[in-house]
Amino acid sequence: MISLISKRIWQSLLLLFLASVLCFSLVISAPGNVAILIAELRSPIVSKEDIAKVAEEIGLNKPLPLRYVGWLGDAIQGNFGISYKTGEDVGESLEKRLSITATLIAGGAAFALMGSLFLGFVGALYAHRMPDYLARGAALISASTPSFFVGALLVYAFSVALRIFPTFGYGGPISWVLPWTTIGLLPASVLSRVVRVGLEEAMARPYVLTAMSKGLTRSQILFRDAMPNIIPTYLSALGTQVGVMVVGAVVIEPMFAWQGVGELFLTGVRFRDFMVVQACLLIFITFFIVVNLTVDVGMMLTDPKLRRQRS
Amino acid sequence: MTFVYACRATLSKVPPLALLAIGAFVFLGIFSSWLAPYNPNTQNLLLAGQGPGADHWFGTDHLGRDTFSRLIVASRTSLVGVFLVLILANTVGICIGTIAGYRRGWTDEVLMRFVDVGLAIPSLIIALAVIGIFGTSYWNMIISLALAWWPGSARISRGVALNIMNKPHIEALRVLGASPLRIYFFHLLPGTIGAVLVYATADAGAIALAIATLSFLGLGIQPPTPEWGQMLVDALPYLEGDPRQVILPGLALTFAVIGFNILGESFALNRVPAPMSRRMLVSRRRVTASWKKVMV
Repeated sequence: MISLISKRIWQSLLLLFLASVLCFSLVISAPGNVAILIAELRSPIVSKEDIAKVAEEIGLNKPLPLRYVGWLGDAIQGNFGISYKTGEDVGESLEKRLSITATLIAGGAAFALMGSLFLGFVGALYAHRMPDYLARGAALISASTPSFFVGALLVYAFSVALRIFPTFGYGGPISWVLPWTTIGLLPASVLSRVVRVGLEEAMARPYVLTAMSKGLTRSQILFRDAMPNIIPTYLSALGTQVGVMVVGAVVIEPMFAWQGVGELFLTGVRFRDFMVVQACLLIFITFFIVVNLTVDVGMMLTDPKLRRQRS
Repeated sequence: MTFVYACRATLSKVPPLALLAIGAFVFLGIFSSWLAPYNPNTQNLLLAGQGPGADHWFGTDHLGRDTFSRLIVASRTSLVGVFLVLILANTVGICIGTIAGYRRGWTDEVLMRFVDVGLAIPSLIIALAVIGIFGTSYWNMIISLALAWWPGSARISRGVALNIMNKPHIEALRVLGASPLRIYFFHLLPGTIGAVLVYATADAGAIALAIATLSFLGLGIQPPTPEWGQMLVDALPYLEGDPRQVILPGLALTFAVIGFNILGESFALNRVPAPMSRRMLVSRRRVTASWKKVMV
């Protein structure tokens, strides 16, 4: 069990290392000279000596492996350099924005969790009857609707027409409802399918037949016998979905004018601000890998088949 | 031939709604220039923001362009983009995947580690990062999406290639003295391409969505070329007065993606049978087992 988990951790570390190399090489392969960009940022008139000075300063003349080690060391300490466009410290602006993105993702994950369990259990309780078909149809439609369209529809319905929630902004729980719903709808529908299919599969097992012959009702069987079976699968799917929510954050944060990491990344992409793109990418990748690792360890702990396995 | 069989076998299993949505998408995309009643880019500010009428079926947008024509032409933009991305991503993916599946050993290990990294990062984030480094343009968008999608294709083609390499006819070929190149190009590659392209079609919905999302963010298809995501973001400031211009492109996109998602779901049934009742489960398993033989 412990060796299984430690093997998984090593895998994640290797993945993280390769991903950081990818991050680094992406910026190295960028067209144009970074030193000229920085020199232009410092003074309007740039001479050749200035460029050479800047190149020396940020270590452009060192060999690539050394530059990578230096960059990674700085990044681990939270020093991501300065933005080429605004001159701000990237690490500082990331720090300010992290809590906003965390609010968005945590709320979205909570919405996805509740929504998917509700839809999935309704489907399984009323299998092959009207509520099941409705739940499945709703899941299919919301899994296919792009999040920006969902956002626009929600804003139109609840802000423009009904005037319940504010159109945009990050001020108090009232303004959080729409972004949470927008970001959580897609994972909720994907996960509801996982719940629905998992429960159905579990309900076809012989121990359910035993439970039925004991005279238990369908809902009792669902919650007591079938539910523990889907937890490992559900956890792993939830991990993937929470990771993918970062994509949602990139789209939804600008829509609702939230100054989060996703918005920072998008601005960086728009203005080709390499340092910002690189820093955000590294943060995103670390987030996915950590979430997936946590989920996998959780899966191993909740799955008796994995728990008792001698590796 | 394998490909034709795979197509015929899967087409008969595709749900009608998926066939309708994808058929409409492809048909509109191919024949858009003949079907659109107006030039999608002709502006007429006198007609701006009109409601639906006999002249303009879906009304006009804030610049007086005919929304119906723009919606139709946008399907071509989307279709061409999806096609290019699928071709590029699958060319790279199938090459890498079949090489890994053919050689196995350390080649496989090294290539699959790269694929793992690609799969560990959501596709759109990869695409955004690539665009952020190389700048915004049509071809950068296509290439960035292809870069984001090849790992998935490589993973699938490796699995398919491994499966084919384990089959007895490959062994027979070896015994008969077929050269590695002959086995690779005449036996492994055609079989893999057929099976992988079937899965790739199911990915088309996600790619269409990604193109629309990038265009929505202003990083993909640039105005005035009509594209659903870009039309939506264009009309967003006028949401209060004219919500139709936001809703229509969104609905068109959703409809196309629903088609591909149903298709993907019906493919997924081939691999993991979705259980119905106990009895149906058994019969479905029997059926899907036979599909698998046809597909691979």
